[in-house]
Amino acid sequence: MSRPTPHTVPRLAPGCRVADNPGQPALLLVPEGALKLTGSSLSIVSRIDGVRTFAQIVEQLQAEFAGMDPAAIEEQTAAFLEKLSARSVVRFA
Amino acid sequence: MIPGPQSLIAEVTHRCPLHCVYCSNPLEMESRQAELSTQVWSRVFEEAAELGVLHLHLTGGEPLARHDLTGLAAAGHGAGLYLNLITSGLGLTPQRIDELVGAGLDHLQLSLQDSEAGAADEIAGTRAHARKIALAGLIRRYPLAFTLNVVVHRRNLDRLPDILALAEELQVDRLEIANVQYYGWALQNRDRLMPTREQLERSLPIVREAQERLAGRMRIEFVAPDYYARYPKACMGGWGRNVILVNPRGEALPCHAAKVIPGLCFTNVEERPLRWIWEESPAFNRFRGEEWMQEPCRSCDRRHLDFGGCRCQALLLAGDATATDPACSLAPGRGLVDAALGRAEGPAEWVYRIDPI
Repeated sequence: MSRPTPHTVPRLAPGCRVADNPGQPALLLVPEGALKLTGSSLSIVSRIDGVRTFAQIVEQLQAEFAGMDPAAIEEQTAAFLEKLSARSVVRFA
Repeated sequence: MIPGPQSLIAEVTHRCPLHCVYCSNPLEMESRQAELSTQVWSRVFEEAAELGVLHLHLTGGEPLARHDLTGLAAAGHGAGLYLNLITSGLGLTPQRIDELVGAGLDHLQLSLQDSEAGAADEIAGTRAHARKIALAGLIRRYPLAFTLNVVVHRRNLDRLPDILALAEELQVDRLEIANVQYYGWALQNRDRLMPTREQLERSLPIVREAQERLAGRMRIEFVAPDYYARYPKACMGGWGRNVILVNPRGEALPCHAAKVIPGLCFTNVEERPLRWIWEESPAFNRFRGEEWMQEPCRSCDRRHLDFGGCRCQALLLAGDATATDPACSLAPGRGLVDAALGRAEGPAEWVYRIDPI
């Protein structure tokens, strides 16, 4: 289990993809399961592209949720990515 | 309102080049002539997506035995389904995997019988192991989720460290280590397949250590042998709750083995829409809820967790599909499971799966 550093570049693991069905909540489809993406989790996952670093993702989220505590955004994003990594849904490079 | 299933298991054929002694196909298999056409399967995939299904599992037999598999994959992907191919690998060529990935394949599950070629080929009843290892390298080059499925039992459970090392070497994303479940062919071979309690106890810390060490790189799923469990498994997540299976001739079932239960009529997808079968058909409603339960299930606190265990196992072992699964330590039929555990090596010959005509 690992925590992302500012330079970590997260990417979705092979076979994991976001499904957008009109009128339905977005889903992150993974082998043998699916995660419902709502609000902040969708904002995070939609920025995982294998190019952006953790620091860049956090910066964009802090801009998007300007009313929220920036440190809390960083902490929650790190915790969420760590969880996705432990589930083998996200890989860190 | 009955919530829709999340997964459709499409047994597109029962034909297979392997003869595994624990095959999950029924003892009476469907012939090639009986198989549904590409067009009917495509309609079923559309109906499944409309019913709420997310994952389509293309399985068999060996799904690659169907020449229209790429067309089936494209139809599933076109319906918006997440596409998983469950395969022995035999029949997979560079051209076919190219086509399948092009059709939208998301996930491929390759079966491996053992880490050792001789032992693997004995279980499969044919020489397949070396070919599978070579194919794993080919599969890994594609942007797919890649799972290795290894069924474990008395003959290979002691090689678990080798199996784990092989999975690491093949760089798979997921490893499923599944103890044999005793239905159909496996039940015929139960006495030779059943692990000892000592084997099982040795295997658990090995799995846990590997899960921790490989977290974030390789996910390891472990299916425990329910004969050794205190409580039964919530088979298929409950009857008619998460999964719908369609067999090669089009009969819709709640699980792989359900046809062993007498008195149930499984509707064919050529006769009725999938939604009707799921929501209205008597067979899918037969073991929903709790009305059908006997004691001790009926008043048990765990009935919402395991739904009384497996209906097919209750029928196969206790002769009554409404009985508490004999794998449960509270079941009146638990003695049947303990007796099975007490039997030694069993008969000298394997009963091999027979390929349908």
